[in-house]
Amino acid sequence: MEYLLPTLREKREVDSLIRDTIDKVLVLRFGRSSDAVCLQLDDVLYKSARDVSRFAKVALVDMDSEEIQVYVKYFDITFMPSTVFFFNAHHMKMDSGSADHTKWVGTFQRKQDFIDVVESTLMPQLLSSFGPIILEYLDKAIYRGAMKGKLIVSCPLPPERIPKFQLLYKDV
Amino acid sequence: MPIRPEHAHQNRLWCVFCNFDILELDSPFACGNAIEHLASVEHWKRVKGFMWKYGGGMDRVHLFRIAEVDFAKWEKKCKALKTEGAKAESVGPVVGPWKNIHNELNADSVNSFHKNDVDSLKFCIPNGVVPLHNYTNEKTQVSCSVSSSVSEAEDSQYLKNSTGYMDNQHCSNSLAVNGSVYSGVRIANGENISPEDIIGNVHTGAPPPWFDATKGNQLDVALKSEQSDLVSSKAGKSSKLNPKRVGAAWAERRKLELELEKRGELVNNNYDANWLPNFGRVWQSGTRKESRKEFRMEDEASPKADNQSEVPMPLQPYISKRMVKSALYMLLFILKSPDEDVN
Repeated sequence: MEYLLPTLREKREVDSLIRDTIDKVLVLRFGRSSDAVCLQLDDVLYKSARDVSRFAKVALVDMDSEEIQVYVKYFDITFMPSTVFFFNAHHMKMDSGSADHTKWVGTFQRKQDFIDVVESTLMPQLLSSFGPIILEYLDKAIYRGAMKGKLIVSCPLPPERIPKFQLLYKDV
Repeated sequence: MPIRPEHAHQNRLWCVFCNFDILELDSPFACGNAIEHLASVEHWKRVKGFMWKYGGGMDRVHLFRIAEVDFAKWEKKCKALKTEGAKAESVGPVVGPWKNIHNELNADSVNSFHKNDVDSLKFCIPNGVVPLHNYTNEKTQVSCSVSSSVSEAEDSQYLKNSTGYMDNQHCSNSLAVNGSVYSGVRIANGENISPEDIIGNVHTGAPPPWFDATKGNQLDVALKSEQSDLVSSKAGKSSKLNPKRVGAAWAERRKLELELEKRGELVNNNYDANWLPNFGRVWQSGTRKESRKEFRMEDEASPKADNQSEVPMPLQPYISKRMVKSALYMLLFILKSPDEDVN
């Protein structure tokens, strides 16, 4: 239990984490610890946290907290869990083929998916050496894109491993 | 007794301001001619003109002259020395002041040297380098040579007695300075003691003369140098990172702020509860700044709407049209039936 993921319940904590995470991807999971899908995602995040620690930091944000509601509204979080990525206090978008590029909705099927999203997909030789670590694969994409100055990156995962959801505008 | 010719060259002074070479061949006291020149009105005028012309610190002009008050004191002391010398006909130093060596140093007199308004750059530098068998503490150096004439001539720059020499052995005493003990200090024969020695030099770790004037600047310089070192050390790391990466400028700024906060030099207590990160919203097509503005506007508008909806509404039962009709019919029936009875 070396890498116990911090759970944030105050806006001040979220702000300081966003401001103090420098040159690393910040992964913020918005959800509820009692939800089944959230638990699955938390398990994947926890297991991958150490692998991505060189270039990413992972934290859990409690959506039920009163102070966090301002972020729930600001980030337009309507589905649970939702994962938002930051790099040097700048929001990183990811085009995963869904209607919402601002966050990752749902869970990851494998650790390697998450890792690859966070870092990159541009160096398959490097990736192959990491083995079946899906989460790292996901993390890599965002880190690589951020280091190149891109605010939006393409999702490296195949469509069958991307959760599907329908985005409603004001519940319409 | 005038200074010996072989030592006169060590007391020569070239005044840059006046463009004049001051010799000490016939001066009874060390640097007497130089002191008289530096206290003169003509020298003072030329110093001011020089600094004005070549852009010097006009607030430090007084450092390059001897004030009239100091000059008067020196003259007085010199006269007293002359009379005593004539009476006693002694060659060595006066015994009385020797006692000062054993007791606490007359630090005030020692420290007064750096207050003298003399151009220190123009004075002679000691010739030889004394072997370091003793600690070369400038304060003690000065005390040994000064002790003979400090009490008589506090303001003189070059402190030699009438003969101009003192034996090393006389000065080889243990001296306690600021709690630490220094062994006897050499006073090299014929060696001048420059104001730099009196104040301190590189070997003693004394600060440079320009730092004494403005200590604030010293701290600023130290801070800036530390910051620049910090930046350069961090630059080594950040130089490996792409300068075009997302949020690069912000990251560099934030790193510096965090480092300063860690060292306690910058206290950042201004936590902004309304701070929001850079975020591109889902239903926003403009820039991220616009999305943040829009959110803030929405956030301000939403509490007002919530307040309005919180006004308590009176609860009323639902009455349908059929119920209204049936109620009307009932009323009419009731009203008609008493009339028929009457009839």
